[in-house]
Order: sequence, then structure tokens, then C-alpha cells
Amino acid sequence: MRVSYPYKDLLPGIDALAGVMGYKSGTAPEPVTDLIAELSEELLTNGEARAEYTIFNHVRLDKVSRTLGVEGVVFNVKPIVFSQLKHAEGAALFICTAGQEVGMRSRRSMREGDLLRGYVYDVLGSEIAEGAADKMQEALRAAAATTGMSITNRFSPGYCGWDVAEQHKLFSFFPDNYCGITLTDSALMNPVKSVSGIIGVGRNVKYEPYRCRQCDDKNCIYRGRKT
Amino acid sequence: MDLSTGTFYLFLTLVWYPGKQILLLQIVVMTDLLERISTCVEFGKVDIKSPYPPAMKGQEGAFELTRHALDKGVSPGDILEEALIPAMSRVGQKFSRNEIFVPQMLMAAKAMSSSMTHIKPYYLSGETKRRGTFIIGTVRGDLHDIGKNLVSMMIEGAGWEIVDLGVDVSTEKFIEAIEQHPGAVIGLSALLTTTMENMRKSAADLRKKFPDLKILVGGAPVTEEFCRKIGADFYSPDPQGAVEYLKTLS
Repeated sequence: MRVSYPYKDLLPGIDALAGVMGYKSGTAPEPVTDLIAELSEELLTNGEARAEYTIFNHVRLDKVSRTLGVEGVVFNVKPIVFSQLKHAEGAALFICTAGQEVGMRSRRSMREGDLLRGYVYDVLGSEIAEGAADKMQEALRAAAATTGMSITNRFSPGYCGWDVAEQHKLFSFFPDNYCGITLTDSALMNPVKSVSGIIGVGRNVKYEPYRCRQCDDKNCIYRGRKT
Repeated sequence: MDLSTGTFYLFLTLVWYPGKQILLLQIVVMTDLLERISTCVEFGKVDIKSPYPPAMKGQEGAFELTRHALDKGVSPGDILEEALIPAMSRVGQKFSRNEIFVPQMLMAAKAMSSSMTHIKPYYLSGETKRRGTFIIGTVRGDLHDIGKNLVSMMIEGAGWEIVDLGVDVSTEKFIEAIEQHPGAVIGLSALLTTTMENMRKSAADLRKKFPDLKILVGGAPVTEEFCRKIGADFYSPDPQGAVEYLKTLS
């Protein structure tokens, strides 16, 4: 299923965006909040994020190897992700992207020496991509609910112990340039501000808080997030 | 000139005009420019137009004060050693303690950069020396550059010349840069576990070609253990760690 979302529906408020940068509510310096406001406004005027997902009704879960098989492709998702997918009957494979523009603006600002502007664009781009993934996930949840199914959290290669190199397996399910996203040999998505991954679907799966305490990635961008 | 802040230097200039047999006593009072430059850099006060921090609104910033300092005869080396480096060191320490975040580091860097526009010509003329040359790049296959840029600007603020090779840098390009800058220290950055493998290869090839080369590594997935395994010399989870390590080399 293919969906698109205008940026204006995806970006949180200034305080929340400052929070992503590390600031507690109301503590971000004025130049930072001013710049967030300026660049948000600039992006909101014409930006649109895209998302697509494909549902596979049957998956094969191997409790010994802690792997998940989809149509003959075996994902070595590792223990943290496996523990949350182990009751799945099916799975949705998804990709979302904020598009090229925001990343290009970030890189251009950096090149021109305006590091703060480049950084704020970068954060906005990440939040747009994550916001699109949130919306896509909610659409999937609603669709699954009509058939009595629930969904898990979303999981991406490169997080929760799942090797980022497995992006190649994930992308083998998508046609070339699917949703405008390509993958480099090093498993980097282009546009950079994109999210891909898997969501478990089934009658006995549930959405749970991320298990960050079990993960040793102290620099993970999702560490401590509520969703 | 704002006499309400800072400490004061008194410059007594005795001028003798024999023809008129007059002794002029010129007293030039100047606020402690170095301290003010340092404060401007620490808090991201770039120039007189910068509205931040609010308490310094309308006052001159790092750009103007550095110019004044040079015009008054303060050496560029003193500006660097007594104003810019201590300011960026305080910024790095506050960042390490989570007292400030990336945007404030970048604001400080911008202020430092505005000051450096006046100092760079003295580097080029050889009148002022850098502490060394630091070559940095994000390894082959990786396009992430924010972490690399943060480290670059903190190390530049510590008095080093930066040679930034950008992103997706091949080992050959690193080698070429080291050959152009003998004695340089090198920094390898990676943000993906897949490109950490390229970091390993680059570090191994560089070590083979330059046995005495100091190699620093960094990036979100990089660890101390990985640093040891690939034969790099130093890993730090934040820019200030790299700055402290480089101090031990210069």
C-alpha cells in the first residue's frame, strides 16, 4: 500500500523538536528555537513524505536460530527483535522517506559553513521520516484491526541488534527505486532521511515499549523514546 | 568601548616631541579583550548583529573584538591560546557533561570561526603556528558528516589545522592527504556497522603504509574494543576526548 503525507502533518512542535536535540522543555536557546521555527515553516510549505508497505500473510519463525523467514528469505533479526516478533503470523515490510530535498538542504548548509542550519535541517528530516513511519504504522494497525489482527512495533535493520547489512534482504522484496529509495552497497538508504523495516502482524502480537535496556547501543537515536 | 565589564589593561605610551618640548602622556585604557573574546566564543556571540545571548545584545562579538585585539597589538598566538582554545575547551567539557547540546556547540564554532577569519592570515604568513595538522574523513561507503564536522570544529578550536576530506573517503585519498601533510594525525569516522568494516580496512592499510601514524576513530557504532581490534590509537565517544588526546601529542 502506498501513501503520502504532507510535512505539515508530520513535524512536531518546536519544543518537541528541541527535545530531540537534547533540550528539556523550554530550555533551548532562542537562536535554536527561532531556527527550528524558520526552517519548519520553510519545509512545511511544499514538502511531502512517502511511505509504502507490503503485507505477507505468512512468516516462518525459528526459535532456535531466532530468525524470521518471509517467502524463502531468512532474516537474522537477533534476540531483541525476535522476542517481539515470535508470535507473528504475518509481517509488513515497509519503507518511508522524507525525500531528497531536506537532506540536500542540510548538506548545502553544511558545505556553506552554516553548521547549525545544516544540523537543524538534518533533525527535521529525521523527524519527518519517523513521522511518516508513525502514520504508516497507524494505517497498518487500523487495517489489521479490521481482520482481528494486531501489530508489533516497527523494527529496522541497524537497530536493536539487527545487522544493518540485512537491509539488502529487505530491499530484495521491493522493486528498484521503490518509493524513490535506493540502497548503497554499505546498506545506506538514499535519500538518507528514510526508514525501512518490518512490523509483525498477528492475533497474539502486541505493541510494547522498546527494550532499550537489553541493547548495548548507547548512541541509538531511539533510546529513551516513548514510541 | 565598554568599560563596565572585564578587567583592564593599562597601556602607558610616552611620546616625546623634541621640537615642541612637550611630553604627552597617552593613556590607553582597554578592557580585557581576550577574556571578552573567550566569552563571546563560549556563548556563540558571533558579531555585533548577533542577538544571542540576550545579555550581550548590541555588544561587539568575537569578530569585532578579535580585530580590535590585533589592532591593539595582541598577538594572534595569544588570542588563540588565551581566548579561543580555552573557550572551546569549556564548550567541549560542557557538552561532555550534557550541560549544552549540539546546537550550542555549533554556535560556539561559528563565533570561533568569525574570530579565526582575522587570525588565519597569520597562519599563512607563518607568524603563528598551529599545534599540528588533523586529517579527517568519513570512511568509504558512508555519507554521514555531522559527527565528523563537530569533531573537526572542536579540534580546529584547539589550535589544529583541519584537512577535511569529506564523506565516502577511500583509503587512497587518506594516504594522499597524509603524504601531503607529513606528521599529521588522522581521524576516521563511520556511522554504520557496515562501514565500520571499511574503517577497519582503511586503518589496516594506513598502519601498514605509515607505521607511526596516530589514528583516531569515532562514530556512533564505534567502541573502544573495536578501536583496539583494528589497531587504531584512540577512540572517544565525544569530540572533547579527541581534543584531550591530541593535547598529549602536541
